[in-house]
Amino acid sequence: MTRLALRNLFQSRARLAISVGGVALALMLILALDAVVGWIEARVTAYIDTSGADVWVSQEGVRNMHMASSSFSSSLASGVARVDGVESVTPILYLTNVVEAGPERAVAYIIGLPDRALAGTPSVIRSGGANPGRGGAVIDQGIAEASGIGLGDTVQILGEEFDVVGLSAGTASLTNSIAFISSTDFAGLLANPRVASFLLVRLEPGASAEEVARRIESQVRGVTAQTREEFAAQERKVVRDMSTDLMAIMNLVGFLIGLAVMSLTVYTATLGRRAEYGMLKALGAHNRDLYLTVGVQALVSVALGLAVGLMFTLGLAAIMPLFSANLGLQIRAAALGKAGVAALTFAGASALLPIRQIRGLDPALVFRRR
Amino acid sequence: MASSTLQVLDVTKRFGSGPTEVTAVRRVSLTIDPGEVVLIMGPSGSGKTTLLMMLGALLKPTEGTIRLNGQVISELDEGRLPEVRLRQFGFVFQDFNLLSALTALENVALVAGLAGRKNGEARSRAAAELTRLGLGERLSFLPEKLSGGEKQRVAIARALINDPAILFADEPTANLDSKIGHDIMRLLRSIAKEQGRSVVIVSHDQRIKDIADRVLWLEDGEFKETTTMVIDPVCGMSIEREGAAASAQLNGTTVYFCSRGCRAEYLAEHAL
Repeated sequence: MTRLALRNLFQSRARLAISVGGVALALMLILALDAVVGWIEARVTAYIDTSGADVWVSQEGVRNMHMASSSFSSSLASGVARVDGVESVTPILYLTNVVEAGPERAVAYIIGLPDRALAGTPSVIRSGGANPGRGGAVIDQGIAEASGIGLGDTVQILGEEFDVVGLSAGTASLTNSIAFISSTDFAGLLANPRVASFLLVRLEPGASAEEVARRIESQVRGVTAQTREEFAAQERKVVRDMSTDLMAIMNLVGFLIGLAVMSLTVYTATLGRRAEYGMLKALGAHNRDLYLTVGVQALVSVALGLAVGLMFTLGLAAIMPLFSANLGLQIRAAALGKAGVAALTFAGASALLPIRQIRGLDPALVFRRR
Repeated sequence: MASSTLQVLDVTKRFGSGPTEVTAVRRVSLTIDPGEVVLIMGPSGSGKTTLLMMLGALLKPTEGTIRLNGQVISELDEGRLPEVRLRQFGFVFQDFNLLSALTALENVALVAGLAGRKNGEARSRAAAELTRLGLGERLSFLPEKLSGGEKQRVAIARALINDPAILFADEPTANLDSKIGHDIMRLLRSIAKEQGRSVVIVSHDQRIKDIADRVLWLEDGEFKETTTMVIDPVCGMSIEREGAAASAQLNGTTVYFCSRGCRAEYLAEHAL
């Protein structure tokens, strides 16, 4: 019966193309959206991951950067520096604002860096320097290219003009980029200049980040200390929480498309071979034999659809960076699992109606004149 | 294959109820012996196909019983009927009803597979059966590449693959030309006579009467007439026993002839 199922499936090529294409489209929607979110999650923590800090210290209760505000007295830095296992402390300032380059306005994390910062500087510099210095700014290369500006040009940040002294890479995502100015310039724009947003802590060799973070929280009042990994995980969680509804809607859309296409094609395929199934029943085939035929057809269709959908998604991931440096796809194993489960659900659900149809099929149908 | 007798006793089939009730078959009784070819004829709507479906365990009678070797099959539950159809009966249809996606070999092997045979065994049996029926060169052909006669022979091979006791053929010559139709009927007769299987044919084709042992005329759901077909031993013509032009008694056996000439020739030869 498996042979019959496969032959039937590949005999109706148009129907097969529709079912495989429909499933592929649906699964691609699910996979691609998850891959976009995966990419954003990876990009959104790129600065944290490459900051060089082992422990991030923030205002008590603040656990991430995105859509958060952290502020405490910069004098706490000396207290943190005295904690056992701490090698260096780099205070940075941080706000979410915009970088204005000519008519272009791009949302950006504005980071205020001290001179000769030991942590927190951009990790990849395409041209110019990594240290902005007084009156200077380091902005993302993609943002600069999109705005048509380069080194020596002027951008406006926090209402002040800065000269572009460096172009960084890997500091932009679909939603925002990162711009670096000096802490001195940054502090000059604040009402209280003796504050810091975060303390970037580097550890002595052999020190445990978890233990040092615990010691900082117990010895310095009013701060929250997390390892770099914990801080990045919190950041990803915020992005994930923000995208959950969108993901759910798009997953539902993808799921419904896949289910509708599969149900329709498997149903019409069964309907089109009603006489053959009736004849097989007349010859002595059990219902279970015929269910197997429908099941195999549904399973093979969704397996092909999954393969094609994955292939398209991989293709999309490969060509996406060619069109936009700020958008990419990162396919995750969990998403593949989710797509696999969705595909199995398509197969199972789409086979239900035809199975019911077969169960009620009268084998005497074969004697009715056409 | 075990020889099987099919016994039909007072079978009635009614469809619908109340004012829309239709009686398709009315108190029909019949016994089909092993190796016998029975032709059921009658006008359209006479109940031929309904009767065939009941004989083939595809339809339950409203009243009466159908027994196969003493076992009442008309009262078996739906779960057990496929086994009876698969192993005891073979079906040949007017439209051939071959699976369009499968080759001739696969069409036959599939039914062997349904009976539990492994793929290799099913395919070798199917190939042997098709070759025996003259289709050895057509094993890998799809039905669309076969002629009508070839399709019907594939259908016959499929019907025979599980070694059934009884073959049911529904208008097997309707979609074939006269010569091919006759070839098919002769093939069915040889299957009955050489292999001892019963063959029940439903048809309105008068030209195929000569291959039957018995012709039953069904009208309004009842058998109106039963004709026993006999062979004239001189000219070999198949004739209706009741309408034979001449007959003769020889050693306690009655012999029937199509004409007085044949009788005279026969008696002259046997008197010597």
